[in-house]
Amino acid sequence: MRNALTIAGAELRLFLRDRSNLFFVFVFPLLLVLMIGLQFGEGATSGRVAVSGGESSLQSGLVERLEADDVVVSDPAWDDALALLARGRLDVAVRVDAAAAAAYEAGEAVTLEVVRGPLGDAQVVEQDVRVAVEALRSERSRVLALETRGVPTDRAQEALATAEGEVSAPRLEVTSVDRLSQEFEGMGQFEFGAAGQLLLFVFLACLGGSATLIQARRLGVVSRMLAGPVAAEELVAGQVLGRWAIGLFQGAYLMVASSLLFGVGWGSVPLALLVLLLFSLVAAGAAILLGTLLENEGAAAGAGIGAGLVLAALGGSMFPLELFPDTMRTISRLTPHSWAYEALADVQRRGAGFVEVLPELGVLAAMAAVLVTLGSWSLRRSLARAM
Amino acid sequence: MRQLLALTSSDLLQRMRDKSVLIFALLVPLALMTVFNLVFGAADDLEIDPVTVVISAPADDDLAQALTGVVRALDGTDELDVTVVETDGSAGRRQVRDGDAALALVVPAGFGEAARAGEPVTVDAVRGDEAGIGADIVLSVVDGVLDQVASGAVTARAGLAEGVAPADIGALVEQATSGGPAYDVETGQASDEQLGAGAALVAGQAGLFLLFTVSFGVTGLLIDRESGTLARLRSMPIPGWVIVAAKALVSFVLGVVATGVLLTVGSYLFDADFGSVPAVAVLVLCAAAAGTSVMFLVVRVARTSEQAGIVTSIVALVLGIGGGAFFPVSATGALSGVLDLNPVAALLRGLGTTSGGGGLTDIGPPVAIMLGFAVVMLLVSRLVPDRGVLS
Repeated sequence: MRNALTIAGAELRLFLRDRSNLFFVFVFPLLLVLMIGLQFGEGATSGRVAVSGGESSLQSGLVERLEADDVVVSDPAWDDALALLARGRLDVAVRVDAAAAAAYEAGEAVTLEVVRGPLGDAQVVEQDVRVAVEALRSERSRVLALETRGVPTDRAQEALATAEGEVSAPRLEVTSVDRLSQEFEGMGQFEFGAAGQLLLFVFLACLGGSATLIQARRLGVVSRMLAGPVAAEELVAGQVLGRWAIGLFQGAYLMVASSLLFGVGWGSVPLALLVLLLFSLVAAGAAILLGTLLENEGAAAGAGIGAGLVLAALGGSMFPLELFPDTMRTISRLTPHSWAYEALADVQRRGAGFVEVLPELGVLAAMAAVLVTLGSWSLRRSLARAM
Repeated sequence: MRQLLALTSSDLLQRMRDKSVLIFALLVPLALMTVFNLVFGAADDLEIDPVTVVISAPADDDLAQALTGVVRALDGTDELDVTVVETDGSAGRRQVRDGDAALALVVPAGFGEAARAGEPVTVDAVRGDEAGIGADIVLSVVDGVLDQVASGAVTARAGLAEGVAPADIGALVEQATSGGPAYDVETGQASDEQLGAGAALVAGQAGLFLLFTVSFGVTGLLIDRESGTLARLRSMPIPGWVIVAAKALVSFVLGVVATGVLLTVGSYLFDADFGSVPAVAVLVLCAAAAGTSVMFLVVRVARTSEQAGIVTSIVALVLGIGGGAFFPVSATGALSGVLDLNPVAALLRGLGTTSGGGGLTDIGPPVAIMLGFAVVMLLVSRLVPDRGVLS
């Protein structure tokens, strides 16, 4: 056992000593958590609108209204706005031309040109723009209405401002029986990104190690180790433990860093760690299997990264499983990622206990058992084979 | 020249035998495209489902009835299919819970009176299981109507304060809410330079993996050094630049072929159309040149093939994600300008233009960006102190 632990320790040290890993283990996953959180998370903006046109009270009024609605507003030139729209960087573009600005000043009819982008939510954002325009119109026409009753403009504005403070507007309160919103309830801005990247990078870090296993065999390290007082079982156990330790290290680092930097909550920490423990073991088994089935480091690195990315995409690490079409959701059950995702989501968002996540943990344990057994068998077989 | 060709072709042959090129350049991106297409394809479906809205509103409340009228009038506008069912409160909530309706609106008794007087009153909305964008739009419209009602109450109060006769207040509010100048919102013409969901996926993955593919030439150079082949080559009467140029040529050829295959296969599999073939070919050539130019820099800084692999992965992922290979990055103004100076973003932009029907004459800006990027990278690689493979 001591031999196996020594081998595992050496594997982990090798992994950490590799300076190249510094970026991919410590920096890159957190950058992705940040990006995904900013892009899709709960606190993400509720729309991106360009209000093109020079300085005018119509333009600034519109911008003010939209910003009060948490919409991010910019003011590029019209052609630029259209180009940004086409490339998905904006949801809606509004053109405030000179004629519209002048008509607004004069209290006349205003026509605004609005173009909507190709992405899903753009239609809702366009409706927000319409509401903002309507609010501006009503603001303008109530001053005009008072003016026609002989109230001077400045007094009308003042009276309206005072009245605004006294009147409470009717409110719209939306509750949801929506299964989706309930499933996402309790999820902060960075929770999805953190859980997804945790699974993605734990698996990648393990699979990435399959190339080092091939290298160790090719350079004769393995055969030299076997020449010493180390049993083949110990070597196999050491390799599995080493991969496992790397996965655990990567996962634990991401859990700690994401909760410190982004305030990600992991629910019950012992349960979340248990999920990580089983998931890393699955990844370790897969890494050993890959490293013994392939005999070329380049191919192993390519296959490792490829499989890591594809499995993660299928397993909900890049896009929430809850939003998958039904068939894809069924297919995703083939990946360990989706089981770990479900377990983490239950623990993180729904405060699930051990019994509730037992089915997911069971499947992960079964996957781990199969892959570790296969990997160990394949590794033992490869020890006898020359490269 | 003969030496250059001989070195290039022997290297290309070697890379072909090496399965990693095949995996990185074709298999992984195609697999990712397939998965993303299956997953995102359905989510990006822009079809707006018909919405059934159950409204319970007091029959004797004209303001509540007006609200119902506005929601009813949404049917048929702007691709919306809205069915309004009037019922009492609890039935509405039940229908939503049972999945018979997407949205329930419960307008309380005394709504009109309270709203007109500016007293607090709440309209309850219950959003149903899988109610989509349609329901969000209805909610946004209802919110707008409530704003208008509030605006009427404000006007009434201000009018009274300014001495408008109470008998005239009704007309004043009417004029303030529905009279006055009309503000129209016209739907303008969208730019046709946008890639559809499938095409964006294909183009994005092709752009991202192009940067991985071009790295094989350079990694080859470092492997040659590690295995002693480089030293042997340099002992022969071959100028140093020929060896480097051969590797660059390998990168370029691999990049062009892989990207070409990915775009062709991708457009066939995922129903994307990139338009004019000569224009797309020019874009691919320029993108491969820009990608290869980064490798000149890598070869100056990386000492081992492993370091080179890591540097290229970092460069590829940063440029790829920044360029919108996975999802469009929200950006406007200066940041948007900076993001555009990246070959992946330029390739996507160019493919957007060609898929919108643009030809060779329309792809000037992206081509200029990619070639400019290549020139800058080459210049920088000359200036960076050489501590890499040929030092």
